[in-house]
Amino acid sequence: MRRGKIEIIADILKSIREKGGKIKPTHLLYKSNLSHAKLKEYANMLLEKGMIEERLVKDKKMFFMKEQGHKFLLEFERIKEFSDSFGL
Amino acid sequence: MLFNNIPYGIPSYVFSPKWFYGFDSIIELIAVIVSVLLVYYSYKCYKLTKENKYMYFSTAFLSITISFVAKIIGTLAIYRPTITRTAIGSTIHQTFTGITPYSINAIALIVHFFFMLLGFMILFLIISRLRWNNQRVIALLVYFVFIATWLSVVHYQLFYLTSFVLLSLITYSYYQNYVEIKSEKARFVTIAFGMILVSQAFFVFVIYSRIIYVLAELIQLLGFIYLLIPFILIFKKKPRLAK
Repeated sequence: MRRGKIEIIADILKSIREKGGKIKPTHLLYKSNLSHAKLKEYANMLLEKGMIEERLVKDKKMFFMKEQGHKFLLEFERIKEFSDSFGL
Repeated sequence: MLFNNIPYGIPSYVFSPKWFYGFDSIIELIAVIVSVLLVYYSYKCYKLTKENKYMYFSTAFLSITISFVAKIIGTLAIYRPTITRTAIGSTIHQTFTGITPYSINAIALIVHFFFMLLGFMILFLIISRLRWNNQRVIALLVYFVFIATWLSVVHYQLFYLTSFVLLSLITYSYYQNYVEIKSEKARFVTIAFGMILVSQAFFVFVIYSRIIYVLAELIQLLGFIYLLIPFILIFKKKPRLAK
């Protein structure tokens, strides 16, 4: 099924969370199942919204999950559970 | 009790035994609170996701909320006619001299019937995953709600019977949803609608015994409490931090 914008954001954040809150862009590209251009677009949006941050670790770029990202995921999972439980 | 004082040709009903007066209003107030919570949260989901299904769900429970509020007003008009002696009550009374507690009850009853059936109908459409762009089907179903309301005014049993049929379909769909996703919360939702369904079956026979009305109200209360449980469980969920 085609993913909506919110599902894509949630998938990106879940991928980061599953990797312990930090992930390399190449791993994220593989895990999020998005094209390079699309991932860049979404990553920029998440950076802008303060859900993730970009840091250099041993000269390598990495994405880190921020508090705002955790909050978004929690809200997303609540909506998903509400939707499933009430058959929406 | 079917009152002989028929204003505007509309009958007014009160089925509760005297000792239960007001308790049923409290039960309906609890149903209103649960419904308002569902209206609020599903509308919030709609604002966040822009998915119409949440808007329709919110509308369904808004309709159910209006229905219960109307019933509370209608029954309180009979239970506490002294309300007309209050400042607001006497102003209304003086403005609309023809309005009696019985006519308030009768009008409130029509509102209760219509919005309850409309709410269940919308819920049935959502859970059945009927295509909302099929406007002819929707127009026909809304017409069906009008007809059912009209006939229910004359034969109140028809309202509960129609609710029972709609709730049977809704409960079955929720059962299928539970079988599919096997979640505890979906089980609570199925039980909740199952209980509301049973309460409607009891309501059909309230004319024969007032105690049946009390039982129906209590089962309905249980149904709405069960509807609240999955909602609480969802909100108890704590954020899952990074592993």
